[in-house]
Amino acid sequence: MTDTMIDVEEFRRQARAWIEANLERREKVRMGRVVGEITTHEQIDKARALQRQLFDGGYAGISYPADYGGGGLTPAHDHAFREEAARYVTPDFGVVGVVTMGPIGRSIAEHASPEFARLHIPAILRGDEIWCQFYSEPEAGSDLAGIRTRATRDGDRWVISGSKIWSSGAYLADWAMCLARTDWDVPKHRGLTWFAIPTHAKGVTVRQIRQINGGAEFCEEFLDEVEVTAEDVIGEVNRGWSVTQTMLVYERGAGETASATEPRNLAPDLVALARRVGRAQDPAARQAIARAHINDYAQFHLGRRIAQRLQGSRNPDHAVAAYSKLAAGVLTPLRARLGMEIGGPAALAWPAGDEVEARPALDYLNGRRISIAAGTNEVQRNGIGERVLGLAREPSFDTNKAFNEVLRNARNWDGKVG
Amino acid sequence: MDSDATEDQRALLDVSVRFMAEASPLAMVREPERRDAAFATTYRNQAAELGWFSMLVPESLGGGSISGNGVLDAALIAFRRGGLLQPGPFIGTNVVADAIARAGSDRLVAEVLGALVAGEASAAWAVAGAQSAGRLDGGVQASIGPDGAVVLRGAKTAVPDVEAGAWLLVTAASPDGVVQAVVAADAPGVSVVPLESLDLSRRFAEVRFDEVTVPADAVLRPRGSIEALLDRQLAVAATLVAAECVGAMEAEFALTLQYSKDRIAFGRPIGSFQAIKHVLADTSLALELSKAVTVAAARTLGAEDDYGPSAASMAKALVGEAAVDLAQNCFQVFAGIGYTWEHDQHLYLRRLTTDAALFGDAAWHREHLCQLAGI
Repeated sequence: MTDTMIDVEEFRRQARAWIEANLERREKVRMGRVVGEITTHEQIDKARALQRQLFDGGYAGISYPADYGGGGLTPAHDHAFREEAARYVTPDFGVVGVVTMGPIGRSIAEHASPEFARLHIPAILRGDEIWCQFYSEPEAGSDLAGIRTRATRDGDRWVISGSKIWSSGAYLADWAMCLARTDWDVPKHRGLTWFAIPTHAKGVTVRQIRQINGGAEFCEEFLDEVEVTAEDVIGEVNRGWSVTQTMLVYERGAGETASATEPRNLAPDLVALARRVGRAQDPAARQAIARAHINDYAQFHLGRRIAQRLQGSRNPDHAVAAYSKLAAGVLTPLRARLGMEIGGPAALAWPAGDEVEARPALDYLNGRRISIAAGTNEVQRNGIGERVLGLAREPSFDTNKAFNEVLRNARNWDGKVG
Repeated sequence: MDSDATEDQRALLDVSVRFMAEASPLAMVREPERRDAAFATTYRNQAAELGWFSMLVPESLGGGSISGNGVLDAALIAFRRGGLLQPGPFIGTNVVADAIARAGSDRLVAEVLGALVAGEASAAWAVAGAQSAGRLDGGVQASIGPDGAVVLRGAKTAVPDVEAGAWLLVTAASPDGVVQAVVAADAPGVSVVPLESLDLSRRFAEVRFDEVTVPADAVLRPRGSIEALLDRQLAVAATLVAAECVGAMEAEFALTLQYSKDRIAFGRPIGSFQAIKHVLADTSLALELSKAVTVAAARTLGAEDDYGPSAASMAKALVGEAAVDLAQNCFQVFAGIGYTWEHDQHLYLRRLTTDAALFGDAAWHREHLCQLAGI
């Protein structure tokens, strides 16, 4: 931090004045994002206009480098702005916005060439470019380094073929950050490269996937000889795994269920539900309400401690971000289950349009997402066990083997180790 | 929780840890006969010199904290106490000192509070009544005379660490509502009956009150409501027990983690198996959540924030459950060796299980949280 940087509290005062003068107050406090809702192109257009307003006011990408159009300030400044803006209408791009401003933008800032970053990050912060990830594949999720999409060099061009899945909001995105295998004759982590692909490029097909909650935010993509150039490589060829690790840190730290401000109202949604079904004095329901709120409170403070730990260290141990992710992955489905228990029959069937009674079922379905997205709970447990607690890794069959051989060997595996 | 400490707080923690390791090493937990009255006096005097009993008392009354947030200072000490399974009425003395500082008569401040801060005497909060269904005033009835003097009858159970010459803060029921009185453990009509206990590091007693007369100026008279004072006492007690508990959790987890790296089975350290690794990861998450919520409670309560009692109940509820789970999970990793008297595992198992229930178990604090929220 330099001496000339504006103090967080002074920044907060300025931000508050700007917010009051420029943003609209929200009518009621949002109870939390309902992931299953489908973000529409109209919403995206509105969000772009609002994002532009933030950018022009100097409040977009507060903690992004100033050289790339950001504010050049710290995450603490960013946090202060979010706290001040919590009761105002801010750009809502849905999940794809979180992906664009978080993992994608940060990975580009840290790993792309300055020319690439100067071209795209200001456009992202202005709301002109929305990005998605071409990341997981039908046959590679937890073992992300095992992806099979192929990028072949052809002179100054790269030709990419394969399929991707679970790309949040790809149907709304202008660009995708795509992970592809560029060398099949080396172990899996050493042959990966990231590419920028326009989602409307020739050979790209994006399809929305209908999810268990009826929504269709996630997409699958088919890449059929999509051509890009050497300028579209993000980071270095065959060094894509280090970019991936940066991206995962931001994904896991995103903590989409944690609120920006300390939750003090006793689980308002569950209290409303208990009252609706006449159980506000029922000891079992009261225990469930308190349990949910305590977990919300603990999760918030865990997130804050971990953020402080990462920000307060010159050499931060990013593996601790897995705690936030695992907490969300465990506590979100638990909270949803408590809602179902409190609601009883009303949580199973409700009058059309009744939001209080409909919410537990929706949360119950949506709550599954966070326990598998960006690494399942089990992957987080391995991460905590091995990289935070220092436990020895599971024996691996593929880390020292050319990826070409890995698949063939695995299919013929006879159960013997070593 | 040490990472939450300022430099001044760390200095206090360092010297406190040196004192604890010397005065009451872990091995002494198995030798209760060495912890006699002489030991208790020496331990308390030395602890008082470190400022252990002054943190919740304002400077105007002879106390003082190093950070300005006395609850946080005390919680950081409590955390290290828990890790080293320290004996003695640290929590009781601080809770009672805090209550007298807030609602005690001039005589109580002059005679009792000064002695507590100086380590000349300790105090215990006699709150749990047998068969009183979690009521704080259960077990003991108070009748109030015309001169304001109070007569106590009944019994409180599982009162922790009542030392010789201790002061008792008794929470009793009366027709006019809750009455809280400060009475000496050796006053006429008071009997302290030692109990056997699961926890070997603490001592418990049943305290009986047989027509014990307490003068009017030994009754606590808060400026606000008696309920608000009780909420405060409970919050301080809950936060400090939670902090001791988290300290013990961290210490036991560290032992278990090391064991999982050292113990070999099937040609590998057992911690490399996902069956063990995932249990340890979950346990470590529960520990991190416990630290987060306990520090938050201490900060909030120590800042005189109205949300303090709610935060404290949340800490106590979350930590209590996490502690019992942690003790079970650690036991599972140790397996046979953890079932032996010589291994420290059972000392933590005993203490953690006790911490979870002291001053309200998880279910009690969840209900209390609902009541504090007006639900």
